[in-house]
Amino acid sequence: MRVEYINPFYQATVDVFRVMLSMEPTRGTLRAVQELVPVSEANVGIGVTGDLRGSLLYSFPKTMALEMVHIMSGMEMTKLDAFVTSALSEVANIISGNALTYLSKNSLACDISPPQVFIGSTGTLAMATEKAIVLPLVTDIGTLEISISLHGK
Amino acid sequence: MSMWKEHYRVGSDLIDTQHQELFKRVSRFIKVVQGDEPWEERLEQVKETLVFMQHYVIIHFADEENLQKEIGYPELERHTRIHESFKGEIQEFAQTVEREGFDEEKVQEFSAKVMTWLIMHVGREDQKIGEFLRSRGGHK
Repeated sequence: MRVEYINPFYQATVDVFRVMLSMEPTRGTLRAVQELVPVSEANVGIGVTGDLRGSLLYSFPKTMALEMVHIMSGMEMTKLDAFVTSALSEVANIISGNALTYLSKNSLACDISPPQVFIGSTGTLAMATEKAIVLPLVTDIGTLEISISLHGK
Repeated sequence: MSMWKEHYRVGSDLIDTQHQELFKRVSRFIKVVQGDEPWEERLEQVKETLVFMQHYVIIHFADEENLQKEIGYPELERHTRIHESFKGEIQEFAQTVEREGFDEEKVQEFSAKVMTWLIMHVGREDQKIGEFLRSRGGHK
């Protein structure tokens, strides 16, 4: 797992949060983990194939998830229902797509699988067997953590 | 808090008005989809909105593409492809619910997708048209 894979995700999140939420997330301290573990209530998993293979896991605290969708829709949200989790999946999808576009400028061509939603912070996802790096993105409404486990062929 | 934000303006009266209408409709759609009344009671409005969206995006996308042609916007072709792909997604969803019925959860997911797409598209892609317009002194 190379650290240069991380920055495109930071850039893509800043870009997407700026457009969608008028917010500028700051980068927290990176940490290495052995497995992809949901750290918050609302989680979106995305698989990556191509020149890089692996998994991405977006973990949103519940209050952050609800506030994000509140900002986007202009409506108060009270539960992690299909509407909220689908909006989060789209956000994760767009960030991942943009990050991989940045990576493709370094001539790495990758595809992503449709997002999968996991609610609750228990258990481990059987998504990756190799180490991951967790990128915390700190905002006024909470911290999104993206666990990134990507490896070359 | 409104779904439409003032910084989404691109500087063409026609396009800005259409964008506001789209945001208003999507916002109303979400309110219906997220409402507390029994699903059967909300279904009529859901169907109406879907029909409206199918027609309105065609009109709006055509007007926006015409504006791009008129001002010589260099990314017209790419932008048109993005429009075509979104029209295709709406069409596909309409066919799916026609075939399989209007499942509440499917409609919730679809409305979230439309909302996210609209914000990203108007908030980022269309802003490039706005920048281009401003760079040539605005729209007459």
